[in-house]
Amino acid sequence: MVEEQDKLLPIANVGKIMKQILPPRAKISKEAKQTMQECATEFISFVTGEASDKCHKENRKTVNGDDICWALSTLGFDNYTEAIVRYLHKYREDERERAKNQSKVTATSSNEDKAKESPSHKSREQTTSVQQIDETSSAPSELRALKKGKSSLTNPP
Amino acid sequence: MRQAGTYSGLLSKMSGRTGTHSLPLARIKKIMKKSGDDVKMISGEAPIVFSKACELFIEELTKRSWTMTMQGKRRTLLKDDVASAVIATDIFDFLLTLVSESGNNINADAGQVNPR
Repeated sequence: MVEEQDKLLPIANVGKIMKQILPPRAKISKEAKQTMQECATEFISFVTGEASDKCHKENRKTVNGDDICWALSTLGFDNYTEAIVRYLHKYREDERERAKNQSKVTATSSNEDKAKESPSHKSREQTTSVQQIDETSSAPSELRALKKGKSSLTNPP
Repeated sequence: MRQAGTYSGLLSKMSGRTGTHSLPLARIKKIMKKSGDDVKMISGEAPIVFSKACELFIEELTKRSWTMTMQGKRRTLLKDDVASAVIATDIFDFLLTLVSESGNNINADAGQVNPR
């Protein structure tokens, strides 16, 4: 049962989103939340399939945010696109800010790292060369991908 | 009314991000990967896009389901209301099998489900 739940979006998150859109006194049955959970999960699979087909036809290996937006529009969810583009724009801005702040922090500690040749230093250089991530990489590597070309900061003159 | 705050803060710590993603990115990525053998590489932004898209999807389907609830003069949103909303909306056709498999008592007024 737990394994099955891993394949679905968490019911707590789904229920919260539902509750926020309904009137304050509205109630939601557990079965309705479960159905919504399944529908939202199927939505992801459905849209991803369409986006993935497009990438395949264009000989690209990575499904990116723009592919998802295109698939949404193609499948009739074009009214979502505007809100998503705004959301994505804000996210990219936030990430740029974080990358800036983070590079300031790493610049001060980099002189110590360089002497030791720490694993984190090596992994940073590896991840900055690719934009793609696979399932095993953790969230911080996504941030490092944005710092492409800035690894020169860690090299002494 | 629930307030964004502690809970969304916890979520963002778990996903390694600040800001309010209402759905866990790792889970979204897992579902994307399972959607097909072709899906091997996923950019960092794709789950972010989906976290917003799913939120909008859930909101839309919930609103439409609630319309069915009100038609039935009830205050509790039931599984059948979700099924009726799916049937009544063209873009939700991909969900028809899912809602009919759950063994719903489909509202006859909303229309018939034709198995594909």
